[in-house]
Amino acid sequence: MSKRLLSVIVAALALSVALAACGSSSSDSSSSGSSSGGGANSPLVGAGSTLVAPLMSKWQSDFNSKAEITVTYGAIGSGGGIEQITSRTVDFGASDAPLTEEQFEEADAQGEVVQIPWALSGTVPAYNLEGGPKGLKLNGEILSGIYLGTITSWDDPAIAKLNPGASLPATKITPVYRSDGSGDTYAFTNYLSTVSPEFESQVGTSTQVKFPTGVGAEKNDGVAAAIGQTDGAIGYVGLAYAASNELSVPLVENSAGAFPEPGVKSVEAAAAAVEEIGANNEISLAELPSTAEGAYPISTYTYVIVPLETEKATEMKKFIEYAITEGQSYGPDLEFAPLPKQVIAADKEAIAKIGG
Amino acid sequence: MEAGTLSNPVLRARRNLTDRIGDPLLRGLAGLAAVVAVAALAGIVYEVIHLAWPAIKEFGLGFITTNDWNPVTKRFGAAPFLYGTVVTSLIALLLAAPLSIAISIYLTELAPRRIMRPVATLVDMLAAIPTVILGLWGILVLGPFMRDTIEPALHSVLGFLPIFDGDPSAFGYLTAALILTIMITPIITSVTREVFETVPGDLKEASYALGATRWEMIRQVVLPYSRPGIVGATILGLGRAIGEAIAVAQVIGGANLINASLFHTGGTLAAQIASQYSNSAGLQKASLAYLGLILLVFAVVVNVIARIIVQRGRIKDIDDYDIGVVATQAQSL
Repeated sequence: MSKRLLSVIVAALALSVALAACGSSSSDSSSSGSSSGGGANSPLVGAGSTLVAPLMSKWQSDFNSKAEITVTYGAIGSGGGIEQITSRTVDFGASDAPLTEEQFEEADAQGEVVQIPWALSGTVPAYNLEGGPKGLKLNGEILSGIYLGTITSWDDPAIAKLNPGASLPATKITPVYRSDGSGDTYAFTNYLSTVSPEFESQVGTSTQVKFPTGVGAEKNDGVAAAIGQTDGAIGYVGLAYAASNELSVPLVENSAGAFPEPGVKSVEAAAAAVEEIGANNEISLAELPSTAEGAYPISTYTYVIVPLETEKATEMKKFIEYAITEGQSYGPDLEFAPLPKQVIAADKEAIAKIGG
Repeated sequence: MEAGTLSNPVLRARRNLTDRIGDPLLRGLAGLAAVVAVAALAGIVYEVIHLAWPAIKEFGLGFITTNDWNPVTKRFGAAPFLYGTVVTSLIALLLAAPLSIAISIYLTELAPRRIMRPVATLVDMLAAIPTVILGLWGILVLGPFMRDTIEPALHSVLGFLPIFDGDPSAFGYLTAALILTIMITPIITSVTREVFETVPGDLKEASYALGATRWEMIRQVVLPYSRPGIVGATILGLGRAIGEAIAVAQVIGGANLINASLFHTGGTLAAQIASQYSNSAGLQKASLAYLGLILLVFAVVVNVIARIIVQRGRIKDIDDYDIGVVATQAQSL
């Protein structure tokens, strides 16, 4: 009897050891599949931004079939991606906001890292106003006033002035924001901080900020639901989300005084118009030249962060090269705009530095 | 058979071996299981403190009273979320406890058997609704209903109180508290129902024999007899309400400040951690872990208080129960 017990225990122990072995090598298990297919390429593991995740899943399968390199990606959020690349538990991190100086210092502690913009998308305000017009025109000052709590009613003179002839109800404005961290919050607050000094000093730019007023909701769908259920609400969502959910979208004035429709085309125009690229490849699309008439004012790059010294330099270079060139062709279907040529050129310079 | 086995030297040796290791093995395995449970708790506490350490060093105990949470200026405090946790779970408890007790009384004492079964099952099924679904329902149905009907009514009658002042909103403390109420009612109900069923039949009979009405019997026998159980059930519900993250995060409106009005948006410890952890790094992540530590301490304190109450109730009520209560009842009649 107890002999049987003993053998059961032994079997259980053996099983748990086997399971533990599986668990610890689960990230590698996919590599054995690909290496048996041909090359001896190391798989790449990355984590971070949720914004880039839909594009990433296209890249993963396409890149695997072309280069026979497996890419595993965890959409754990930009902060998590930065943290994991800082501690080098992944091969690359992805972030919707460029690294701050402090984050660079931390990440460089184990050897220098480089940050490369590799995807481009927009953030779109959306509103719900019963008895109000569709395609309402707004500008940065009004949006920052709404989110600072200084503009509280839809018939505010500033809104009326931009929309002559529109019948605006005196509904109270309820601003809706993301209560979780988000690249859309980064793009939106970056835009508002650029156009409004008050917003910059009172709120600032980040993937998570403290709004003085309004309602916080979780994720894009939470924000959309909150807008949909609240007469007088305005919020912001990702371009892809706005396009697939038929939200009522306002037209936002750009630096040229025009009101371009938000979409891949106008985001692309904005990116093309900004020539200035920062020392760490960070690019802000909030300050557009006044000649760019078709440029959409609230768009943002999302970045990949890679250590310069890595054993997987060859694979890493191949993957990022692929992502910023061939990989961009998947963008428009997912509401990502293709990278402009000056950014691709800067990216290629940065890629060349990987692996020394 | 026995003698035959023992006479075989090989079998006897084997038998001796199993005899020798059987008992220690059992003791070892059972002991190990107990150690694992304790070690898990210790490990969690250690890891949370370890994660929170940068924030503990930076803010100290002042963190608990700081009414701010600003990722841009890197000033973090727990006060808005501690307040939100206390307010929402307290309201949920005040609403859910009487409701659950009433449901349990109905199910155990008043309802006909063929109604009792399905109703009890349905109440239990309420506990099986995934919290995300409940939160979504909160956004789409309960929130607007609160904003358009309940909150204006409260405001017009009790608006002079600061807690019912301010503009009605679909998102806020009150909506979150109601979602929590729905969430903990089945838990409290199912435990109190079990407790009520343990009230000895002869006590009830004795009460009736003394001429008590059904209401008097429930009030003077069932409720006092079950008091420790009711407290335990309530604390179980409270624990759930304090720890609930996702559904609350969906409907409370994620504000980082204390607001007196229950209609206003706010935050709770668990909801704040759930919504911000994945996208945070550095000091903010440490501060979220610090919130987690506060939540852990808070939950332990609530549990200890509950244990004390249950213990007291047991000594006072159960030991001299049988004679005591019926005697007082006899007097009061």
